[in-house]
Amino acid sequence: MTAAVSLRASVEPARPVIELRGLGRSFGTVEALREVSFAIPSGAFVAIMGPSGSGKTTLLNLLSCLDRPTAGEYLLDGIPTAGMSEAEQARIRRERIGLVFQQFHLIPYLTALENLMLAQHYHSVADAAAARAALERVGLGHRAGHRPSQLSGGEQQRVCIARALINEPSLILADEPTGNLDEANETVVMDLFRQLHREGRTIVLVTHNPAFGEVAERTIRLAHGRVESDR
Amino acid sequence: MASGRRMFAVLLWRSLSVRAGRVGVALAALAVGAAVVSALLSLYLDIKVKMGEELRAYGANFVIAAADPAADGLDAAALARAVAAVPPERLVGASPALYGVVRLDQGNAVLAGVDFPGLRRVSPYWQVTGAWIGVAFDERNAMVGRRLADAMKVRPGDTLAVLGAGGAKAQVTVKGVVESGDAEDDQLFVSLPLAQRLLGRPGRADFAMLSVTVDGAAADALAAAIDAAAPGVSAKPIRRVSESDGVILDKIDGLMAVVAAFILVMTTLCVNATLTAMVAERAPEIGLAKALGADHRAIVAQFLGETALISVAGTLLGLVLGFGLAQLLGQAVFGAWVGFRPLVPPVTLAAAMATALAAAILPVRRAVKVAPARVLRGE
Repeated sequence: MTAAVSLRASVEPARPVIELRGLGRSFGTVEALREVSFAIPSGAFVAIMGPSGSGKTTLLNLLSCLDRPTAGEYLLDGIPTAGMSEAEQARIRRERIGLVFQQFHLIPYLTALENLMLAQHYHSVADAAAARAALERVGLGHRAGHRPSQLSGGEQQRVCIARALINEPSLILADEPTGNLDEANETVVMDLFRQLHREGRTIVLVTHNPAFGEVAERTIRLAHGRVESDR
Repeated sequence: MASGRRMFAVLLWRSLSVRAGRVGVALAALAVGAAVVSALLSLYLDIKVKMGEELRAYGANFVIAAADPAADGLDAAALARAVAAVPPERLVGASPALYGVVRLDQGNAVLAGVDFPGLRRVSPYWQVTGAWIGVAFDERNAMVGRRLADAMKVRPGDTLAVLGAGGAKAQVTVKGVVESGDAEDDQLFVSLPLAQRLLGRPGRADFAMLSVTVDGAAADALAAAIDAAAPGVSAKPIRRVSESDGVILDKIDGLMAVVAAFILVMTTLCVNATLTAMVAERAPEIGLAKALGADHRAIVAQFLGETALISVAGTLLGLVLGFGLAQLLGQAVFGAWVGFRPLVPPVTLAAAMATALAAAILPVRRAVKVAPARVLRGE
């Protein structure tokens, strides 16, 4: 799988996975995002940073099709997402996007393996062997039968990352992936993201963590709902 | 290799088993509803028969007599035609009656000629000391009313000499002493052929008593049918019993329907409250499912699958409890066991499923409307 992804990354020209044109999101009279425009090519590793209230989470919700913009356009893999039905948005999420959460959001009564199989189940067909391989890839093959309450925070986040990867999405979106981790686990998770980037994955993560700003090849800074800098 | 179906089953089972308390409440509500519905349904299906039997115990509800009051009773052939006009499945029993006065050793007595097997079915409430006479043509035995037996100081096994009209004589053995609490307690009962000989009225009867499972307007229709089938006879329902029979049955049917509907509504509300609480508690889980790409169909399938599972379990439990409850009610009301009716389980399951699905409509709609971005942020 790794070799295939690396090969794909090397032979395909970099095309925008994400393309935003004047994107905006208002909540009543409050404009959380205004005129946000940028493009992210395939295989990029982008960190979105900014102070609290700058619109980072709002932007991530729009990118993951969990919310709809009130202005502008968002193209994912070249497909306009405006006007999509809820069912089409759900299909986009399960087929093209892998989500990593700060709070992990694992189902507490399912094992690590079953949490991965759940994502497969919603995508197509649960496959225990593929799910086990994904866990082994994040170094948790031996913890497959454990429930989230039996795993450390770092392990839970690695399960969450494995779940995000299980359906081979074209885009990985992460919301403060190290926000709830100690330093040691933070390093493990950051290494994992580095590894994914090397494999050619497109990664966009929202973070306060300056270390990610150094790891990412590009940092977009938001302030008051606008793009303050992009480099 | 786990299939999608297996994953779905794992998901259903785990999500229910971790909420044993709430699931238990919904299960108990459905079990109680199913128990009451299945018990009432069992009784409903049995009650026509049971009530009919019960009401028949109060005696004949049809009398067939000669259409002309001045005639010398009924001809046996006309009587047979009249009884044959009653549908066999509705006829519980029938007995002719021929009355006259005879002389016994210690005085006069009213003699009643009857068909003993038929009389026993028409008058099941009679208390008999000794035994009933088992055949219609027995001319050696007789039954004596309680007051007459006391007056003559006779008991089962004693012999009586009977002197009839025109010097006709007979000697009969008392086989049983009957107690009806009515005029029968003063009468001597012998078989119809013997009474006809003793009274000098061969081939005749004064009237016939019938016990028929019929009520209301159907009783009038049956009377007209008997009249048409046997010219010269007049059939009359005894209103007091036959109409009350129908009224009581209708009232009990209606009461059971009201109770069942009330219980099902209460069950629906209880299950609805439990499912609503479960959806509220599981909003983050639903939000996660949506974030992972679950569409509305998957969310609805999950909740309806869980509801169906609870319904089936509740129904199975309710059917067992309901069968026991039906026996309790059957014994308390009719003094009889209520039989197993194959129709009860599928109808109860359908009622429980309909109840549970109705209860699930609003909670499922609420689940479908969960906004993943909000609940995943903990709002």
